[in-house]
Amino acid sequence: MMVLVHGGVPGITPYCSGPHIWGSSLEKAVAIEVSGLTVDAMTQSVRKAIVEKGAGKARCHLVGHDLGGLLALNVAIESPELVSAVTAVASVAAAPTGDGLADYTLAHPPKPLWSCESQRWALERVSYSHHHIDSALLDGCVAAAARQQPVHADEFVASLMKSKSRLYEVCRTDGIKVPCQVIWGSHDPLTTFDHGLWLFRGIAQKQRAAQFHVINRAGALPFREEPEAFRHVVSAFVEGLP
Amino acid sequence: MSPLPEGRWIDVDGIRTRYFEAGTGEPMVFIYGGNFGTGDSASSAYTWSKQLAPLSERFRAIVFDKVGQGETDNPKNDDYTMAAVVRHAAAFLRALKLPPAHLVGHSRGGYAATRLTLEHHDLVKSLTVVNSGTLSPGVGTNEVVLAKPPHPAGTRECARWVYQNYSFDPNVVTEEWVDAVMLTLSLPKYQESVRKMTLEKLGSKLFLPELAREKRETLQWLDEGRLQRPVQVIWGFNDRTAVIDRGIELYQMFARHERRALFHVINQSGHFPFREHPGRFNALLRRWIESLQ
Repeated sequence: MMVLVHGGVPGITPYCSGPHIWGSSLEKAVAIEVSGLTVDAMTQSVRKAIVEKGAGKARCHLVGHDLGGLLALNVAIESPELVSAVTAVASVAAAPTGDGLADYTLAHPPKPLWSCESQRWALERVSYSHHHIDSALLDGCVAAAARQQPVHADEFVASLMKSKSRLYEVCRTDGIKVPCQVIWGSHDPLTTFDHGLWLFRGIAQKQRAAQFHVINRAGALPFREEPEAFRHVVSAFVEGLP
Repeated sequence: MSPLPEGRWIDVDGIRTRYFEAGTGEPMVFIYGGNFGTGDSASSAYTWSKQLAPLSERFRAIVFDKVGQGETDNPKNDDYTMAAVVRHAAAFLRALKLPPAHLVGHSRGGYAATRLTLEHHDLVKSLTVVNSGTLSPGVGTNEVVLAKPPHPAGTRECARWVYQNYSFDPNVVTEEWVDAVMLTLSLPKYQESVRKMTLEKLGSKLFLPELAREKRETLQWLDEGRLQRPVQVIWGFNDRTAVIDRGIELYQMFARHERRALFHVINQSGHFPFREHPGRFNALLRRWIESLQ
């Protein structure tokens, strides 16, 4: 079973993600909704969801976008018995922070926050092209904003840094126990090619079945902008699993 | 059992050419690396032995021996150049009367496949380049990693040492692989190419300077966006002879002009990801071609 874990939480990004974000990129997969105000709480929400969805079934291939990629890796670290593989997509949250440069891509979103127009602005800003932004996506984002509780940035960022630190410790020591791939959009304004490669390098230290892929002319949502290439990469990874 | 189907012969502009094929469907043609006249190692169609049978289940998979390599005749008129290799490869595709093919080129074969695409767009449907330091801009490190093998040229020990140093896992170099290298090295026509490239110095006088000149031109053509075909770059992450940075730079050259440009990195793999991780490599190729159908 393939389980899709979204990123994009209100309070951190000016667009509200959810199961709708995946569109029809991976049709046979199950998309879940993340809840919680810290990375640890969100990780537990993913773990709980896959236990419920996958009760009595085979282990899950977790496909996580941005923060969802980190959550997927966390579940693979904590409960490898539940996870067959991880795909981390444009996972800025999991990539090393470094002493990076300030990114102003999403600064000064138009108000009211989380309105349709404000979210359209954000989605356009993180994309290579605006063509994938349709009413289904915007309606989904507005509905997600209505049901999701915004996180508090201070508390959330502290939990993110703690979680990331643990991820790289595990990468260096015991290693992630399941095959992992990192997929990056070539034109993601929120990150750089190097960030994706360093996430891969971290995982690749101890996990033999690690791969890194770049999809051209895609921003932070490569599964929406280049769904065919995305499907090709994911299905080849699944097919080539040991 | 032989890892390749029974070989066939075809006359390609007067060059007796050895090739292997299996399956039906869209043609995919593999071009291996190396060049004629090397005495410490030798490539042949065997290089792709882990691809032909699995990929022939869905495609018409074809491997041929390049001019002067494997069992194919040496170039005519002592034309020991990469241009002759590209000309022969294009003439081979025409001789088989193939519809536009999916080319897969490794190392020096990645250069040949790319140059062939640039010169003969009508023969090519897509291009896959694998760990090609020859094509990529930047500094090649073969000389650094493979300098002066500690065994005499032409021995099994030497061939094993060379391919082990190309690889992440030395155990991937099987006796069967070394057998295939030794078979090529033992052919009188191959020994003639070694004599030409070394004793007559055609390697340093002709092959390398001509390649350098044409590589400059090839990179300029890529920079101008003249490839005009979907392209993917697949790279073994731990290759010390064509390091990952070279793959990235090459991918970025392609991606500037081609929407359908993908970059794939395979962990725990040296120069031959298709031999170290055939399952993962073949899956990438299979899905790539299906996505273009």
